[in-house]
Amino acid sequence: MSSSNVQKPAQHAPNPDIFDHARFRECMRTAHDLGGEQDDEPISLLEREEGEKKEWEANTFVTCECLAWRGIWNTVEKHRRHVDLGTTQYLSLPYYGRWLISAARVMVDKEHVTLTELINKMDEVKKRHEQNILPR
Amino acid sequence: MSKIYYHAKIAAGVGDPQCYKGKTGSPPRFKVGDRVKIRDLPDVFYTQTPTYTRGMSATVAELVYESPAPEDEAWGHLDKPEWFYSLIFRQKDLWPDYPEAYANDTLQAEISERWLEPA
Repeated sequence: MSSSNVQKPAQHAPNPDIFDHARFRECMRTAHDLGGEQDDEPISLLEREEGEKKEWEANTFVTCECLAWRGIWNTVEKHRRHVDLGTTQYLSLPYYGRWLISAARVMVDKEHVTLTELINKMDEVKKRHEQNILPR
Repeated sequence: MSKIYYHAKIAAGVGDPQCYKGKTGSPPRFKVGDRVKIRDLPDVFYTQTPTYTRGMSATVAELVYESPAPEDEAWGHLDKPEWFYSLIFRQKDLWPDYPEAYANDTLQAEISERWLEPA
């Protein structure tokens, strides 16, 4: 039986007997600390100029700035929340995707919206988008 | 530690890190030219001190500003600013395989005072 919705399991932890400090450190490594990581190619520089932001990226930027102006978070907390996403999401989301998911998370964590409200709104917007209905 | 969330209000019209100027309440522990070593503090949740600098020696190039350390600011704790130092590392110290041909290359990074001890 297979389903495309099934998530891949995380790597199993080793036997506790061999879970030494080196292993602990490796496991606690923060997602943004990539300096010195072995890779086939150097990290690519910005692919686009600043002015070429897509609309959703500009909207995400403004949303995050508004959250700061209203005292919900500051820039360092925003960065910390990118790291909180964990290595898988940190590395697989686009740059402003990290911002956007972190903005949603801080609003849920600090009770400006509930997760239920967020999920229902995302579902509503997705359906509207699929039907090509513009927002009222 | 008391908690101040409202960073935007503190920095309004002044800027960051200017809004923390003179707020450390104690003189800087190191001066320009001092040799320092980066402490190997535990990696727990968040820091801006890269792992590759831990235990490495560096020279203080500049005292850049006062600001809450990232480990505090990342949870909205803004009331204990500390000195930030611009440090110069030798690339050859950081990366054992760094080519001999570029032995004079350096790397400069800003790190807060809590991470430093005399070398």
